[in-house]
Amino acid sequence: MTAVDPNAAPALAFTDLNVRFATEGGIVHAVKGLSLDVKPGEVVALVGESGSGKSVTSTAAMGLLPANAMVTGEARVGGVNVVGLHEEKVRTMRATEIAMIFQEPMTALNPVLSIEKQLVETFELHDIAYGSDAVDRAIDLLRLVGIPEPEKRIKQYPHQFSGGQRQRIVIAIAISLRPKVIIADEPTTALDVTVQAEILDLLRRLKDELDSGILLITHNMGVVADLADRVAVMFRGSLVETGPVQDVLTNPQHPYTKKLLAAVPRLENVELAETAVVEETIEAPRDLVLRAEDVAIEYQMRGRRFRAVEGVSFDLAKNEILGIVGESGSGKSTIAKAVLGLIPVASGTLAVHGEDLASVSRRRAKEVRRQIGVVFQDPAASLDPRFPIGDVLMEPMIIHRVGTRASRLERAHELLDAVRLPRDVVNRYPHELSGGQRQRVSLARALMLKPELLIADEPTSALDVSVQAAVLEMIKELQQEYAFACLFVSHDLAVVDLLADHVLVMKDGHMVEHGATSSVLHHPQADYTKRLLAAAPVPDPAEQRRRREARRALLASQ
Amino acid sequence: MSTTDSHNSAPVTSTDIYDLAEAEDAALLKKSAKPLSQGQLVRRRFFRHKAAMISLVVIVLIVAVSFSSMGFLGIPGWWDKSYVTAGAVVNGGAPTLSLIPRWLGGEGIHLGEHPFGQESTGKDYFALVMVGTQRSIIMGVVVGVITTFVGSVIGAVSGYFRGRVDSVLMRITDVVIVIPLLAIAAALGQIAGNIGSSVFLLALMIGLISWTGLARLVRGEILSLREREFVAAAQSMGAGAGRIIFQHLMPNAIGVIVVNATFAIASAILLESSLSFLGFGVRPPETSLGLLISQYQGAFTNRPWLFWWPGGIILAFALAVNFLGDGLRDAFDPRQSHRIRRAGLFDWTGRNKNAPAAAIVPPQVEVQPGPSNPAAPTTEGGYDTDKGGRA
Amino acid sequence: MLIFILRRLAAAVGIMLASSVLMYVLAINSGDPLADLRESNADNRELLIQQRIEYMNLDMPWYQRYLTWLLGVGKCVIGQCDLGLNRNGQAVAPLLGQAASSTLQLVFLATIIALVVGIAIGVLTAVRQYSGLDYAVTFLTFLFFSLPVFWAAVLFKEYLAIGYNDWMRDPQLSPVQIVIVALVAGLLMQVFLGGSLRRRLITFGVTAAFFGAALPTLLALNFFREPRLGYVGVAVLTIAAALTIVTLSVGLQNRQVLYPVLITAGLVIVMQFVLVNVFIYYMNWWIIIGGLALAVIVPWLIGRAMGGRYRNVAIGASVATGVIGAALTVLDHIFRTWPSFLDKKPRPISTIGSHTPNFTGDFWQVFLDHATQLLLPTLILTVISLASYSRYTRSSMLEVNRQDFIRTARAKGAPERIVIFRHALRNALIPIATIAAFDFAGLIGGAVITERVFGWTGMGALFTNGLSMVDPAPVMAFFLVTGLAAIVFNMLADIFYAVLDPRIRV
Repeated sequence: MTAVDPNAAPALAFTDLNVRFATEGGIVHAVKGLSLDVKPGEVVALVGESGSGKSVTSTAAMGLLPANAMVTGEARVGGVNVVGLHEEKVRTMRATEIAMIFQEPMTALNPVLSIEKQLVETFELHDIAYGSDAVDRAIDLLRLVGIPEPEKRIKQYPHQFSGGQRQRIVIAIAISLRPKVIIADEPTTALDVTVQAEILDLLRRLKDELDSGILLITHNMGVVADLADRVAVMFRGSLVETGPVQDVLTNPQHPYTKKLLAAVPRLENVELAETAVVEETIEAPRDLVLRAEDVAIEYQMRGRRFRAVEGVSFDLAKNEILGIVGESGSGKSTIAKAVLGLIPVASGTLAVHGEDLASVSRRRAKEVRRQIGVVFQDPAASLDPRFPIGDVLMEPMIIHRVGTRASRLERAHELLDAVRLPRDVVNRYPHELSGGQRQRVSLARALMLKPELLIADEPTSALDVSVQAAVLEMIKELQQEYAFACLFVSHDLAVVDLLADHVLVMKDGHMVEHGATSSVLHHPQADYTKRLLAAAPVPDPAEQRRRREARRALLASQ
Repeated sequence: MSTTDSHNSAPVTSTDIYDLAEAEDAALLKKSAKPLSQGQLVRRRFFRHKAAMISLVVIVLIVAVSFSSMGFLGIPGWWDKSYVTAGAVVNGGAPTLSLIPRWLGGEGIHLGEHPFGQESTGKDYFALVMVGTQRSIIMGVVVGVITTFVGSVIGAVSGYFRGRVDSVLMRITDVVIVIPLLAIAAALGQIAGNIGSSVFLLALMIGLISWTGLARLVRGEILSLREREFVAAAQSMGAGAGRIIFQHLMPNAIGVIVVNATFAIASAILLESSLSFLGFGVRPPETSLGLLISQYQGAFTNRPWLFWWPGGIILAFALAVNFLGDGLRDAFDPRQSHRIRRAGLFDWTGRNKNAPAAAIVPPQVEVQPGPSNPAAPTTEGGYDTDKGGRA
Repeated sequence: MLIFILRRLAAAVGIMLASSVLMYVLAINSGDPLADLRESNADNRELLIQQRIEYMNLDMPWYQRYLTWLLGVGKCVIGQCDLGLNRNGQAVAPLLGQAASSTLQLVFLATIIALVVGIAIGVLTAVRQYSGLDYAVTFLTFLFFSLPVFWAAVLFKEYLAIGYNDWMRDPQLSPVQIVIVALVAGLLMQVFLGGSLRRRLITFGVTAAFFGAALPTLLALNFFREPRLGYVGVAVLTIAAALTIVTLSVGLQNRQVLYPVLITAGLVIVMQFVLVNVFIYYMNWWIIIGGLALAVIVPWLIGRAMGGRYRNVAIGASVATGVIGAALTVLDHIFRTWPSFLDKKPRPISTIGSHTPNFTGDFWQVFLDHATQLLLPTLILTVISLASYSRYTRSSMLEVNRQDFIRTARAKGAPERIVIFRHALRNALIPIATIAAFDFAGLIGGAVITERVFGWTGMGALFTNGLSMVDPAPVMAFFLVTGLAAIVFNMLADIFYAVLDPRIRV
């Protein structure tokens, strides 16, 4: 790691930055008096949850805030204050002095222009290179960020690249003019964990080669531990703590930072090297709720049949949690949807309490559905925006014609108490609640009919870290009280480790490993599982460094 | 300023909550305002839209005057002349309406015997035009209602079930769309005219073929709404198709439906006037605004009022309805109406030069899920099984 | 790809068949084809009735009549179209040929102009959202949406045609009128060009002064009856256009763009001098098409060869200059012909028919005759389509503007011009293609009405006369052409979609 010169002038310096927005609901004070420095060659992580103001801060530095923003204070890029600067001057600074890497690689590139045109554009816009000279430089850039066969692939279009590769291209665009400051706004949040590890490797390599100061915006403490030199923690628009990454992450001072770090689920005691098999203890007899045998699921995609899941077998008993983990495209959500009956099963049996949902009559299937509750991923979309919360909660009872209006309301109140929401929320609408509160409503709705089986499809993936911790805690409590079986789908191994008794690891529609959590996640047998575990970052810089080495060794050996 | 080695922590107040989840819960408890449903939000935005409000006034005015002056369904109106009795032509049939008050040098404000003038056989033109307006409005409303119901149900069923049902319904829709609207409406109009000269019958016939556009738009909206998780949740709960379509999907598509229904009313009125102009619409002794224009287009040079009044009313009404629809669209889809501006009233550039409009939405502002833009074409959804990125 | 097209074609043919049945049944049942004969008192009434029954196959059941018609259409594939006989025994196919060419001309021209201008206005209002210009254009758009076509047509006839013709007899403008025109022109120009207050005032002042001085000069020169450009005029204007284009795009100091543009301008000036006699005496449509092709290809090559690293800009500017120069040359010849044209046709904008009957003259005079007849109906249809295209473009642009890649483009430091044209517009045009295809069919409906107002004997007349007389043959002929046009345009839209959107192509 190149040493950072403590006396160099900062590449990016915020001084008492205040950003206010004029919105339909009044004035929102998004950033309250932020002061922060980023030195050349240094990576400063700006950490916070939603509403912290971290993204707004970075956009202010680029001069890309919308017209209803009122900015005071200073944001100096290489000494030049961007706040209040004339648009034309700010424009010339973009990409040359300050560049940005965005969160969503799938939509960050223009879908109708080839990669070549988009890379070359940066050079031509700023009079650096033209024509074939620019194309050569672009090819070099692609090679630098790790795109194989760049000469051929440069002529292709964005949709022909995977998400990880698109993010590499976005990084290539950002570094093409060697700017003084690179802002990376949640660069790996939308990526799978193995791809994330690769991108972080890339960023680390680039950091050493270029001399740019990097402002890394993220909510993921593992990423912070992996990449950052210093950390700045923001909460509700204010900066609450800054310091070297080792200090802040292992010895936080501010109560918010302490709470935040405590809420991060950690995967500990993972043995990747040896292959000792843990003895299976004899288990007590299990009351099976869900059984899958050699299940295969297909669906139609643009006229062609696609086998999403093949040869999957597992079982789930009362009072147990089965975690299904995998990356995108592994088929984990597909299994959940098949259990819910949303996708038909192509072959094999999928039985709830012995009844195969695919082969029973519709009426019987509806009866069986009473026993299953579901919580989905997206809190914004899982509740009908036009239904008040009371109606949302009572809907399962209405569909299955259970109880009277009074008893339904009573039950709704009961469950709202269980998820610790005030009772008068029955009259409120989903858009008045935050993401975490909506997920709790989803949870309550799922439990209205005292189900035997709860399907949770990435229920906390879209939530902030501290909110996620609260919801997970709640799921644990509710399970202990109501004793349901739970099928928990997630991509986050640490979360699964926290909750699940058994784990099923999926890759490309196939089962890779299946067993008790203590063995699969702590003494993995399969190569893929080991790779997954090696890639997940932990929020302790020293530990993370060791894990990086372990991962490098693992990948070399495989 | 923090140097690379110092570790700073902001001061802690004992009353502040430093946990996001707790903060959100506290905010919820503090909410004393009445719950605001989506419908109420939309209404609030709608009433703030000036053009729509003015249009609403114009529409109410036209409807009120036309229906009350000549009476409707047996209830008599306050205008004394009839639209069928001929009479003596006074002063070449010129209008007696005067709007310039005496103190400005005019003849004073008064309606006179024939405010809109008289046509060639002496019939009072105001009466004729008012009756014509009534017929045109009835036409527009009936066609609009049929279009809305038939179109939204077909679109919703098609969009929800997809597969074969969708194919069949969309093919039927295509069969109707291929024939130019005017042609098929003309044929239907002629058939209606042969059966009887009632405006309702004509409206019914036209309604039979006018739902196609709305059906496609609703289908597109439902196709995209269908992918939202609350639909999957309802399905998992065991809700039947009927419940999902009518309780969940249609209410969320109400934006698209209402906006396009309004536009459908305006185009139905224009369609009727075109048909009557060509001779395939309303026939004498019934009258409509289109028929009046058709009958008196030759009179433009020497008796222009016969031409201006009916055309002007069609124009005003259709314009008002279109603006109303636009106002509704802005109310349902607030993302497009970012009306917070710091620039002055006559800012012809529309943008503050120092802060270009960017696609960053400020935090803590809920982006309301709203109806998609009706101008976007429908696309078939497909799974994006992109490896390496979360789909 | 081929399979895709074939499948779409098969589906389209199926739909056409079903629609044709629907149309046929409706047309036949819309009344009694023998109604007028039944009421007549002519001596040979029975004979006439018998004749008509024969011509229209009224003695056959409806499905047989339909199948006979269908068979006749089928023969089109081998080149012997038999579209049936109308009630007077005339073969419909030749009638259709005449009518179709005239209507399609109208609709096609209107669509193209409406697309180009509509998209331009749409982009402008999207960029200047919520400005005064936006509100004004929105209001005008809604106004045109809400206009009954025939009502507008009568108004146009009165004010634009009759008024213009009257004015043409002795072109005069009172000082008040000149001042008003100058002020309005200035106002429009400054709204269009935008900018800071200072720049607007300058634009306003310059434009108003220009018009204020130019109009009386033109009147004094009797320019409206005897317009003149001449070699010098064309030369000067072409060079002016060339210089303006270069200034607006890259600036005059850029040699690599300036030189090819000037060379192109020079070529145009020389050519218009060399070819003048060809234009006057041997003119025909092929020369115009060929000339246009040359005006695009030659500058393209010059720009490409000389543009260096500004190649794309050089090509664009040269082609624009070439086309403008060619257009100016054509304009010059029109001007030369105008006086003799006015002699032959003192009231130039006629309101009846698609061309003056028995009009003879050289190429340019006939051209002007057609053009003046075409002017009003095209204007009406254009104005109405334009409204919807500009609205669609505007909302499509606003939608695209919200996307992430626009933010990426800005983050790269792209100037607004590039963000709008290279990034936003290319994506926004994709849905417009589908909409344009559907709109074309709707425009044919508008054409029916317009033709009635202006007395054209086009497809509209074929249809309306046929329907009112309950004569299915001409009605089905109308349907055939419009249905075919709808399918062709949908196919074109799909192809265009594939061209614009690589996600479909690759």
